[in-house]
Amino acid sequence: MELSAFARGGWRLLGDPGRFPRRPYAALLRAAFRSLLDHPRAGLDDPDLKDIDPTVLKHCHAAAAMCILEAGKQKADVSAISTCLEDCKLDKERIEQFCTEYQCRELVTVLSFSIGRSPLHITDVSWRLEYQIKSNQLHKTYQPSYLVTLNVENSDSGSHPDVSFSCTMEQLQDLVGKLKDAAKSLERGSQM
Amino acid sequence: KLGVGVDAIQHGVEGLTYLLTESSKLLISEIDFQDSIHVLGFSDELNKLLLQLYLDNRKEIRSILSELAPKLPSYHSLEWRLDVQLASRSLRQQIKPAVTLKLHLNQNEDQTAQVLQTDPSTLLHLIQQLEQALGEMKTNHCRRIVRNMK
Repeated sequence: MELSAFARGGWRLLGDPGRFPRRPYAALLRAAFRSLLDHPRAGLDDPDLKDIDPTVLKHCHAAAAMCILEAGKQKADVSAISTCLEDCKLDKERIEQFCTEYQCRELVTVLSFSIGRSPLHITDVSWRLEYQIKSNQLHKTYQPSYLVTLNVENSDSGSHPDVSFSCTMEQLQDLVGKLKDAAKSLERGSQM
Repeated sequence: KLGVGVDAIQHGVEGLTYLLTESSKLLISEIDFQDSIHVLGFSDELNKLLLQLYLDNRKEIRSILSELAPKLPSYHSLEWRLDVQLASRSLRQQIKPAVTLKLHLNQNEDQTAQVLQTDPSTLLHLIQQLEQALGEMKTNHCRRIVRNMK
């Protein structure tokens, strides 16, 4: 597992007890994990961090976050992380503190899963069945019609207008048939 | 060639169009059609011709009229593909199955295609929900309504 020069610089600062006494170090680690997993600004208002120079704080916070994401990306184990941080001149105790926090937070892999581009993702479907009787152009139509709405999510912005369409019973049967084919192939594929 | 003025032809065509369109729209029975044109005082032969014209063309006229109703994009077809994501910029060594769908829809003569993706459990959920939707038409409630509407 390797970190960029910028990140290594930040970790060297984090390893310096003069710049980062014990309590601010622990507070910064907590802030870095929380800002990735909970909310971007979480933890930075910790009173233990108020004496740290803002530029240094920003650099170190970024370095910690990069290390967390890189470890998640590579599915690094404790020894890989330790080796990496040893190169940044961190003492054993501080390395252990980081690894403990990392192992407690299994969500890091989930986070890495969710970063990245993908097509619109279907999350749910709703449907409506109606029976058409007449329109102003045509009377006595008497046919069932389905309105299907697919709820979709955009990986970037989260929400997206839903995809709606109407279909006859035969068309819906065609659609369901094709989806069932896909599901069957999935089942066969997963058995391989 | 017909030896008739342009105006007369135009009125004739308009009249015929109106007759056929209205009759098809309302889907009137043969008897009602015959009664309606009787007032025009045409010969029997002409009446028979008009009736035949109506019966031959009403299905097509109705399908054209049905295009005029307000409507949403309608389903045309679906293509699907199974993928397994192995890695991304942010995460290596993955095994993430995904189903990619291409939904073809028709809207006012334009065909659109939309690429969508879903995961295996959502796919099963979609199938279950839509099968329930299909099942609805067979329930007693729906059958009763359909019977009584006709």
